[in-house]
Amino acid sequence: MQKSFCSLLKKDLQMMISGKFFLLALGSLILYTLFINLGYVNFMKAPGYGVYMYVPQGVSYPEVFSDKIEVVQSEQELYDCLSEDTNGIGIMYKGKEPEFVLYYGSNTIDNHRIAYAQSLLKEKEFEDPIVVGKNTTEEKQRKEMSCELLFIEIIAVGFLGIASILFKEKQMGVMRVYGITPAPKAFFILSKLLVFLISDLIFAALLTIFNVRSSEAFHILPRVLLQTGILSLIMALIGMCCSLLLKDFKQFSLAYLVVALFISAPVFLSANTSAQNSWIKWHPFYHLYMGMKNAFFDFQSEGIVYFLLCLCSIFLLFWFVKMAFMRELSKEG
Amino acid sequence: MIDVKNLTFAYGKDKEVLHGLDFHVDEGEIFGFLGPNGSGKSTTQKILTGILKGYKGSVRLFGKEICDFRSPAFFQQIGVLFEFPYLYNNLSVLDNLNYFASFYPKEQLRNPLEVLDSLQFKKDFLKKPVSSYSKGMRQRASMARALMSSPKLLFLDEPTSGLDPAGAVLFRKIIEEEKRKGTTVFLTTHNMVDADLLCDRVAFISNGDIVALDTPKNLKERNSSHQVLIEYVYKGERKTEIIEADELRKGMMFAQDEIISIHSKEPTLEDMFIKYTGRRLT
Repeated sequence: MQKSFCSLLKKDLQMMISGKFFLLALGSLILYTLFINLGYVNFMKAPGYGVYMYVPQGVSYPEVFSDKIEVVQSEQELYDCLSEDTNGIGIMYKGKEPEFVLYYGSNTIDNHRIAYAQSLLKEKEFEDPIVVGKNTTEEKQRKEMSCELLFIEIIAVGFLGIASILFKEKQMGVMRVYGITPAPKAFFILSKLLVFLISDLIFAALLTIFNVRSSEAFHILPRVLLQTGILSLIMALIGMCCSLLLKDFKQFSLAYLVVALFISAPVFLSANTSAQNSWIKWHPFYHLYMGMKNAFFDFQSEGIVYFLLCLCSIFLLFWFVKMAFMRELSKEG
Repeated sequence: MIDVKNLTFAYGKDKEVLHGLDFHVDEGEIFGFLGPNGSGKSTTQKILTGILKGYKGSVRLFGKEICDFRSPAFFQQIGVLFEFPYLYNNLSVLDNLNYFASFYPKEQLRNPLEVLDSLQFKKDFLKKPVSSYSKGMRQRASMARALMSSPKLLFLDEPTSGLDPAGAVLFRKIIEEEKRKGTTVFLTTHNMVDADLLCDRVAFISNGDIVALDTPKNLKERNSSHQVLIEYVYKGERKTEIIEADELRKGMMFAQDEIISIHSKEPTLEDMFIKYTGRRLT
């Protein structure tokens, strides 16, 4: 039994190597790490909106204001600045109170921009709020982006990886051979799950260490790995299910688009932006994503019910995959 | 070895494909199961190999009902050659054989190199990936996989498909060797030559029913016209004459200068199949 399982494991590993899966995962890891360290963090450090001010002669205006405000000499020059920097905000003093000029974006963001420009007019640029949480801005950005990329990697790349292996085995017909070997049929599924799980866990550990970077990376790692494990098993089982039930890779690509669209789009929108959908609490992947995000931010909110539901889902999916596998074995050649 | 009684099977509610099959296969026998596409051959084989469940009737292998006997011990005793050579294309034949061998107890395994040698597998290709093999080599590799675990019951589906005539002769020799060792062979084929030369008994299956079951010799004899075709030359002209076989006792009762050939008008196995089923084996 143990020997059979080890052989299956070895063969699945060989299939993943020959399918260049590990190369793809390594490429993703390098790309994500470069993006977070050289791109995202620096990009988020970029200065705020450009603020341009025009004060006609003889009009009174605050004498002390932030040096981030660029003073222009004419109304025309102010408009020229705004046409070049469409996110910028113009301040014009025609009377006692300033008037704000900007290109329309959205009400919420425009109010933000105006509030920012107003804050620069004050002697004291920023209030000192009571800060909740211990993460610095950069740590927060690193954790947020690492979490998002890890989630994408598992639901997209892992999902596709397992499907590509199964379709290969389906195409070669070797799956049928398992039907007549003494090895337990569940081993065929379990070995693939284990290989993908280990691969995802290593990926998650490296991504966390390289990108969260602070000493906290090792502190949050066990919980990140737990959430990664849950998501990896669920996605691998869904991927197996789709590849066993669907006829070819073309059909799978369509299913993949649907899965990717319905999993990632609403989850990211609800979890990372102010867009709120009341139905999102019924979306299982929202809870998985939030579980992972909470793990990155060392915030425990998942209770026993969450873990029980995850466990039940994994068992249910495993049973379903086994049924689909047995159905595939009995198909015509 | 195999005992099938009143076997019925349906894919769904109204799609019955086997309508009460009855047959048995003795230990050490080569049993041919012949039928056109869609006749129920593959379904029967899948039930016998434990892949398909949900049949009705009784299917006993090694003296045990198969629905209670689908255990590793059962699969250790059977070997299956599928219609197509199912192998890992990215692995070599040796890696494939070692991989599938790992599912069986060591003591029942044959040396993969010896099995491949008996199948005249080209040595240069032993370590090359299966994707570089010809159809014949893939078939040899598949046969090696089926034989490697020294099965007591061998299911062969179109064993000589994809082989050149010399390869087909070699495969027949190997199947006969297996029979001599005591292996029972359940042979599914379209190839009438294979069935005629190899099988102790054959069953014709058509539309889910066994329409005839006997030795190839009996089937042909039973339906023979007992006539002979004589080709001869008379006064420089080539002629043919059909006479009753019994008439040969009296000698040649017609004028001739030279006899060229005498052929019995015995029907072929394919003729028999068409007679019993009204269909050709395609």
